[in-house]
Amino acid sequence: MATFDGYQVLEELGSGSFGVVYKAIEKATGETVAIKLIDLEDSHDELSDIQAEISLLSTCKSPYVTEYKTSFVKGVKLWIVMEYLGGGSALDLMKPGPFGEAHIAIVCKQLLLGLEYLHATGKIHRDIKAANVLLTDSGKVKLADFGVAAQLHDYKSQRHTFVGTPYWMAPEVIQENGYDFKADVWSLGITALEMAKGEPPNAHIHAMKALFIIPKDPAPRLEGDSWSKDFKDFIAQCLIKDPDRRASAKELLDHRFIRRAGKVEAMRELIERKQMFDAQQDTTKHLRYYEETMVDLSPKTEEDEWIFDTIKQSTIIPARQTMKRRKMARIPSSEAADSCASMMQHLDMNAAPLGSVTDSPMPERRRPVSRKSSSSTQVYTPTGSTPTAHRISSPSKKPLGVDLSFGNSPSTVRHFKRVSSGERRAALSSNPPVNSNSFHPNPNAKTFRPTPPNSANPLDFNDENEPPAPVYQQPVPITKDALYGRRAYSKVMDSVFQEAYANSASPHQREALGGVHQAWAHLDQVDPQGEFLLIKAMVDRLQNDSKLASVLGVAVTPASTPKHSTKSCETSLSGATVHGTSTTRIRSSTTTTSSTYSKASSEYTSTPVGTPTGTSSGSPLKGPKLVLAQNNPHLKSHRRRQSAIVTGEKLYGPDGYALDEKKLPGHVEPGMEQQGLLADILYGQWMQGLKNRWPLS
Amino acid sequence: MHANASFQVEEELARDLQQMKLRLQGTPGSYSPLPHSLDWFASHVHLLIVPFLEAEVNQELVFQLLSFIIQEDLLYYLANNIHKLPFESRKDAQVIFSTAFRYKPVGASDPQVLHHVIQFRPEIIISLCRGYDRRESAMPCGGVLREALKYDSIAALLLYDEPTTDGKTRDLGDVNPDEPSSGNGVFWRFFDWIDKGAFEVSADAFNTFRDILTKHKALVAQYLQTNFDMFFTRYNAVLVQSESYVTKRQSIKLLGEILLDRANYSVMTQYVDSGEHLKIIMKLLRDDRRMINYEGFHVFKVFVANPNKSVAVQRILISNREKLLRFLPNFLEDRTDDEQFMDEKSFLIRQIEQLPGVPVAPPAAA
Repeated sequence: MATFDGYQVLEELGSGSFGVVYKAIEKATGETVAIKLIDLEDSHDELSDIQAEISLLSTCKSPYVTEYKTSFVKGVKLWIVMEYLGGGSALDLMKPGPFGEAHIAIVCKQLLLGLEYLHATGKIHRDIKAANVLLTDSGKVKLADFGVAAQLHDYKSQRHTFVGTPYWMAPEVIQENGYDFKADVWSLGITALEMAKGEPPNAHIHAMKALFIIPKDPAPRLEGDSWSKDFKDFIAQCLIKDPDRRASAKELLDHRFIRRAGKVEAMRELIERKQMFDAQQDTTKHLRYYEETMVDLSPKTEEDEWIFDTIKQSTIIPARQTMKRRKMARIPSSEAADSCASMMQHLDMNAAPLGSVTDSPMPERRRPVSRKSSSSTQVYTPTGSTPTAHRISSPSKKPLGVDLSFGNSPSTVRHFKRVSSGERRAALSSNPPVNSNSFHPNPNAKTFRPTPPNSANPLDFNDENEPPAPVYQQPVPITKDALYGRRAYSKVMDSVFQEAYANSASPHQREALGGVHQAWAHLDQVDPQGEFLLIKAMVDRLQNDSKLASVLGVAVTPASTPKHSTKSCETSLSGATVHGTSTTRIRSSTTTTSSTYSKASSEYTSTPVGTPTGTSSGSPLKGPKLVLAQNNPHLKSHRRRQSAIVTGEKLYGPDGYALDEKKLPGHVEPGMEQQGLLADILYGQWMQGLKNRWPLS
Repeated sequence: MHANASFQVEEELARDLQQMKLRLQGTPGSYSPLPHSLDWFASHVHLLIVPFLEAEVNQELVFQLLSFIIQEDLLYYLANNIHKLPFESRKDAQVIFSTAFRYKPVGASDPQVLHHVIQFRPEIIISLCRGYDRRESAMPCGGVLREALKYDSIAALLLYDEPTTDGKTRDLGDVNPDEPSSGNGVFWRFFDWIDKGAFEVSADAFNTFRDILTKHKALVAQYLQTNFDMFFTRYNAVLVQSESYVTKRQSIKLLGEILLDRANYSVMTQYVDSGEHLKIIMKLLRDDRRMINYEGFHVFKVFVANPNKSVAVQRILISNREKLLRFLPNFLEDRTDDEQFMDEKSFLIRQIEQLPGVPVAPPAAA
């Protein structure tokens, strides 16, 4: 097994979508290799994305594809050892000027051979462009950068993920209605144009706008007398908007333009041209070398350690009380209680319920009144001295300051759609669909947890028409309403104001809006609960006015708040933009989630099961289990259990808690309602957060 | 196709498959004949998958082919010898497995071959897991396994596997889910494959491990309850405290996912009652790697948010209250754009501030 010590790491070669690439020598063989170094701590990628690239790479072995050698983890760094390609990328080679037709034909032929291999093994590259075409010293052409490539597991399947680099993307990829291998052929056509012209079509247009133009406009064509008919026809064959009519890589290998292509050795000319060019430019390149990061070895201070000493049993107060909080105030002896008591003294009933307590060490969170951007966030990671590209896997809020014009971002885009409330609800219902063949728990077992009517999805606001909840007179007023208020402000009001502000033209309008926004922000600071009640009252009144209600569309759906919030999310073309030589990716994670979910559940139904029985019946059936005939006793017992569950479930109507309700997460002891409620709200959010943190596999 | 021609094809197929089986089996005592016939083998395995890949699949031919494959028990020999195959043939073998496992006759809703395997030849599934023993076979085997894991009976097969005296895999019908596992079945070997394997092997094994534990919730909830102590002892020792950064980080995250799944509710309550578990997680908060801190936080919050904390947990939290209240405000404070994280952090701070001065036995624990 190769280790770091097995390699002598030389200068930096550049940085790709995943990290920095170094030149290195494998000591055992003396062979020059390229090592991609990914800092897994810094990388905004999910580990599984990186693993997916590696597993894809490791199943490719072709003279037309960059060879993967091995990978290993050292500390927090992942090392990916690849074949070294000394000729640079086709994009590099274009620096002295575009390619001639003869060279383009050679590159295209080699790329088609590479694509033929990939497609035959069920892979789509999805990011073909000159920057991802690498050459060996001797001029051989290889496909590189599998950061966004996909493996189709079923040969007839299609992908629905929005991935690639805008200018090179096929229309069907942008339109997200399913695509297959043919998407690579389109990108190849664009790459051919890029090599001929020096840049892809629409390069002068903002990348996001290009996304709209590509599906709308007629396919680009190569024009002008300087190009042969064959080349023009080749481009035309690649760039057919209907993927079904577009040629496959295999078919294109038979095209006259490709059959006439010369030998790869001719590519040497371009490599030499580039070397001459570099020499003339006299760019004294600053070589960067790999430096190992020093680990901080300073001993940890005692402060850095937790105290896990056991305390004698006797300090425990006998259990039996409901109001825990009061009790602690009565124990002034302990230091902790002291600080608590002092906090209590500082408590002001007018203070913001969620605001930090006066002497709390928690720094107060800024709530800037005039934020610079609307909620349609685009993330711009500023290019530092090391242009390591980050792919950002969750849409984070940063100012809209992206310059996505061609020169600034020759990069790939990933798009993360926010979860709409409907999908969120579906995702939250973690109990799998009940069906006949799957494994069922005993309804009396403690695991079985019916969904309490309201707490199942704390993000649902179905209580719009109920009377306002009584205001809790607790010393620390974290109320449900206050939380909702805060949420409504941060998710909806704030961004609505900002959008309105951004959309209004006249200074007067802006001033007026700004005033309201500021006032609202103040209200949110001071009294989020009141804020929520205000919103609620407004929605209620609006609903009562049938005309307004129908115009606003609030008549039927009471869940106005989440609705708004998703709307504001969907309008954003958010997503993560990246700089460097790298790749922005657009991906609609949610759609896929829900579709895979439903797919899984439909497969569920056809489960060929002979699972051990989950009940305590203790009478497992003998003999073969799997051919489950309709009269199979095993199946029958399944059904019986299932019907037991179904009736069991019916018990939990609006208020019928028949089972051990103390065990349910929704349950809290009297006096602990707020805590329980909070826990439940958070629980729902956590589930969602978790869903977002696992990318799709 | 003429009946005669079709018959010929079948004849040829049968002969080829028998040949293949013989070569895979090898002759006991003699050296393995495989390396000398790799080319022959590669081309024949590839020929096998051709009918599966054709655009218009000849249903009849596929059926014939699969019948032969099952009759000759080829899948079993393939599963055990996949590492010996040349590079491209390993992928071809994966296609054979996937196609076979996915195969449903026209009109039928059940994957017939998979049925047969579960019922009569579960050893194939176990052998596929053993593919993780070698770098060459890990990925093709992993791919096949994860596809098969769509069915809960496959998950059950892996979870309830136990070593038997006759080397046969035990029948699912004999399984008593209330009986604790011996810890020697194939499921428990995943811990080693994840912890000790080369990066690619470890990563792939982890993905399969995660599928086993998350795809079939009721099955897993029952299993985890029965084997709670052994599972979490190993999980903490081997995975959460692994030397490998990737393994550590991934398993903390998976731990959070397992605990937050409502199907695992009682497993979660049992988990967060343990002071020992809390200690392990609190150490993660002080790890010098930020993503470890972050993933650890998502487990730590479950302890703190639990309204009915056990005495042991309260005691640890209370004796560290001051430290926590100093520590948490600055904890990963540059994650300012992660709104949910910020909210949760202030919620936890609030909860810790409100802890009683001394532990109070939880009311529900009686």
